[in-house]
Amino acid sequence: MSHQLTRIVRGLSATGIRCLSTTAAQSGHANFKIHIPTFVKATISKHKIDYDLEARKDPDMETIDSETQAVQLQIPTTGTDASCLTGVPEEHIVSRKVRIFRPAKNAMQSGNQNTKLWKIEFDTMERWENPTMGWGSNADPLSNISMAMSFKTKEDAMAFVERQGWSCYVDEAKEKQMQPKSYGANFSWNKRTRRAMK
Amino acid sequence: MLRIATQKCCDQLPSRFLPFLSTKSGAAVATRRHQSTDDKVEVFVNDKPVYVKPGSTVLQACEIAGIQIPRFCYHDRLSVAGNCRMCLVEIEKSPKPQASCAMPVMKGMRIKPDSDVSKKAREGVMEFLLANHPLDCPICDQGGECDLQDQSMMFGSDRSRFLEHKRAVEDKNIGPLIKTIMTRCIQCTRCVRFADEVAGVSDLGTTGRGNDMQIGTYVEKMFKSEMSGNVIDICPVGALTSKPYAFTARPWETRKTETVDVMDAVGSNIVVSTRAGDVLRIIPRLHEDINEEWISDKTRFAYDGLKRQRLTQPMLRNKQGQLVTCLWEDALPFVAEKLSTTEGSKVAGIVGGFADAESLICLKDLLNHVDSEGLCTEELFITDGAGTDLRSNYLLNTTIAGVEEADLVLLIGTNPRFEAPLFNARLRKSWIHNELEVALVGSKVDLTYSYEHLGDSTTTLKQIADGTHPFSKRLKDAKNPMVVVGSEVFSREDAFGVHAAVSAIAQNATVTSQTNRGDGGADWKVLNILHKVASQVAALDLGYKPGVDHIRKNPPSLLFILGADGGAVTREDLPKDCCVVYIGSHGDVSAPFADVILPGAAYTEKPGTYVNTEGRAQQTQAAVSPPGSAREDWKIIRALSEISGMTLPYDDLEGVRSRMSEVSPNLTRYDAVESANYFKQAAELAKLAKPQLVSKPLQSSQLSLADFYMTDSISRASKTMAKCVKAANEGLTPDL
Amino acid sequence: MSTAGRISQVMKGVPMKPVMSANPVEARRRVLTLYKQWYRATPKIIEKFQLPYTVEKVHNRIREEFMKNSHVRDVRAIDLLVIKGQMDLQETIKMWKQPCHIKSYFHQETAVEVPTDFLGKFFTQKH
Repeated sequence: MSHQLTRIVRGLSATGIRCLSTTAAQSGHANFKIHIPTFVKATISKHKIDYDLEARKDPDMETIDSETQAVQLQIPTTGTDASCLTGVPEEHIVSRKVRIFRPAKNAMQSGNQNTKLWKIEFDTMERWENPTMGWGSNADPLSNISMAMSFKTKEDAMAFVERQGWSCYVDEAKEKQMQPKSYGANFSWNKRTRRAMK
Repeated sequence: MLRIATQKCCDQLPSRFLPFLSTKSGAAVATRRHQSTDDKVEVFVNDKPVYVKPGSTVLQACEIAGIQIPRFCYHDRLSVAGNCRMCLVEIEKSPKPQASCAMPVMKGMRIKPDSDVSKKAREGVMEFLLANHPLDCPICDQGGECDLQDQSMMFGSDRSRFLEHKRAVEDKNIGPLIKTIMTRCIQCTRCVRFADEVAGVSDLGTTGRGNDMQIGTYVEKMFKSEMSGNVIDICPVGALTSKPYAFTARPWETRKTETVDVMDAVGSNIVVSTRAGDVLRIIPRLHEDINEEWISDKTRFAYDGLKRQRLTQPMLRNKQGQLVTCLWEDALPFVAEKLSTTEGSKVAGIVGGFADAESLICLKDLLNHVDSEGLCTEELFITDGAGTDLRSNYLLNTTIAGVEEADLVLLIGTNPRFEAPLFNARLRKSWIHNELEVALVGSKVDLTYSYEHLGDSTTTLKQIADGTHPFSKRLKDAKNPMVVVGSEVFSREDAFGVHAAVSAIAQNATVTSQTNRGDGGADWKVLNILHKVASQVAALDLGYKPGVDHIRKNPPSLLFILGADGGAVTREDLPKDCCVVYIGSHGDVSAPFADVILPGAAYTEKPGTYVNTEGRAQQTQAAVSPPGSAREDWKIIRALSEISGMTLPYDDLEGVRSRMSEVSPNLTRYDAVESANYFKQAAELAKLAKPQLVSKPLQSSQLSLADFYMTDSISRASKTMAKCVKAANEGLTPDL
Repeated sequence: MSTAGRISQVMKGVPMKPVMSANPVEARRRVLTLYKQWYRATPKIIEKFQLPYTVEKVHNRIREEFMKNSHVRDVRAIDLLVIKGQMDLQETIKMWKQPCHIKSYFHQETAVEVPTDFLGKFFTQKH
């Protein structure tokens, strides 16, 4: 039991968590198990995370199913409010509302890879031009959260937001409809789709 | 129902085609089919089976499989051109790689988008495209959001073997909105097809061929369309860019806020790009049921009006009668004192076109608190008959997406081309693809598609309602007819008569169409009202009286003007002792005669709820903060209530929205159309109130493009819009 | 990062395993241990950083900080707060912090009063 403890303590020390006393752990409770906090043991076994919603299976890459990854990561489910731990000031928890959405496709381009993941964003607070350099200043510590994180599903995003103690609403993703396309319509005999100029 | 045109070249395709349906239209369509794999065709993409609708292209099949094939000339909403050749993919048993954007799928086809042949094809095409493309990336506005850049990185080869000279092309002047640098053009013809098909203004075309091919108008001509700005989005390279936005920012340094436009009543979804608290540009985002991927020019370019002529400080009149800036702590108690001392029947409010539902409910609650019922909208509607009591009386009931299932549209007293360009675009799309027939009673305007002009007199309306007009027969035979009346008819003195006649026409058409469809009592709605301002439907939902008659009949001593700059009420109409409080962002018409000015926020600066003309509630997001000391409108009213001692029972957005949904639950059910009913009852109530028709012709006020650009306080403050009006009236000049 | 919360659907309803303490009693013991450590370290802290406060004032401030989280009931959250408290204590004792960091806990006299009522916020802030 003790070598497990020292390993754990060393492991925790490696990540910067100093345990000054583990009196409770050293009590020698037979059935007592210490489990590594999540931030130590988080192993992400995929090097490249496949963003495609219909995943293309790369045979060279070992994939891990969500259940195993769940056990490894040990991230709690919905119903836990960890807002006391996040260090976010009170006024930014109580008064802010989170929008969960899938980003809109850039109208200037045809690619839609950036629209696949779910993101969260807050209501925009004041931004002004910094007098020194003309950069954009703001007093909102949570303004860049949509750049920092993204989620694979809407439910994951909602779980995260609940855990942090924010209130949220979901903007359902707008799916593109398949438009009927045929080259032959350009040459139709009597329909208005006949293209006079190409 | 979108029917696919028969293809002469591919006779081996199955003869039945699965209609591509709009899911939110709510209309019962006779040939609707279930999406089962029985009707689908199996193809293999990278050896993985995919089931696609027959008649779709290889490119669409690959998209369903999750693989996006690179393309330049193909666009979902334009016709297939197949001239860029970037979409070439290898298909088994085919000697050459095929253009996937044009190739229809066939059963058992094996598609290999990642094979060596496909990759070689893309590298080759990219090499050719870059051969004549200038080295403009550092100075090109498209940098960072350029299809050519991204696709050459992903699919092009890593080295060049180009030792020849590049050709250059002269720039074309097509207006004050679109900057053209035609050297960069890759001749994909997307702009040509857009102008021809979606905009309906066939001004752009190709001249010359081969290396000398140029895209332009050939004669120096302005691209006169209300949707011309969309070619900027469509152009995959930096050949067509936005002139007002030129050289201002790179896309990676901007923040994008997804919000909704309020320049017209359509409620197109937009993305506002900002940097350091300034709005830099507005581009569209996808919404299949409203604006697809387009926005009108006013939506796109009027944002520079948000910085000019703004009210930024509260103002009061000093002893000399001049408006001077003051602090909130001075202005609000002044108004509060007036509010508490004025008798309820002498307090009134007028709301303008940009008022969000939050400020509407706050004003209503505050005024109702002092026992005032004088809450009016600036825009007119009818008050007789069912008036605004039945929602179906004032909505675009068929919905914008429902237009695609209509087969006959009767427009009355409206020019949808300039009043709601995206609605007109949908009509045009239906006219092209679904053989829609359109008839118009009103001014003979160019709608970009052919229609039957039935004159502009009200007797025509009466005759159609009676069934004596030759057009009535066509209405009777139609399966999915639509009758659309514009909101301009409500400024006539026989507004109620026109509305009643339209109601009668619609009711008759509903009954006959049910028998034609054979599904009696189903969900197709015929009567439609096309509004012009974004706030009207929300105001009517919340119980505002349409039109300022109430104020004319009961002159108030305290008048709140919530952004109403349409000139409905002038200083002369009000009694001398009336205290006018203006709450709004621009106030070019009404603020000069106000006694107190409380600066409000524009639509990009507040999270507000707007209901579009179909009855769909949407919310805007704040992209930037209001300038100076301006605040959100509902917060001003709430603060005023607190200082007056009649504090409204909510102090955050949640509270206001729950109050809104108490009054009208649809206001917080965002992005959903709550369909309305009781058409028959409304028509009967209209008949009971004895409608009269006057023989004045039905006319629209916006007849030419120059009338489109400056219609509200934000677009009137915009320099870009002023340039557009000048160009539309006088033609192009080199400096524009 | 992008895998955060990925398993929420899978693990719904499964009781989560604790971080350190197995039950609230143990967590309480950890909290009290930490509190005693802080309590006993205060004279040393005041001497090292030359703080212009009395021991009683520092004790009261420590108590306030502990009471701020008195509403937390989740054992895992309590454990993590204890860990953070121990980190804070180590940084203080080892003088990895500077006097300004300690004094920032006592800034109440010079702190700018930010209005929290609607009208106060309306007059001073834009949002």
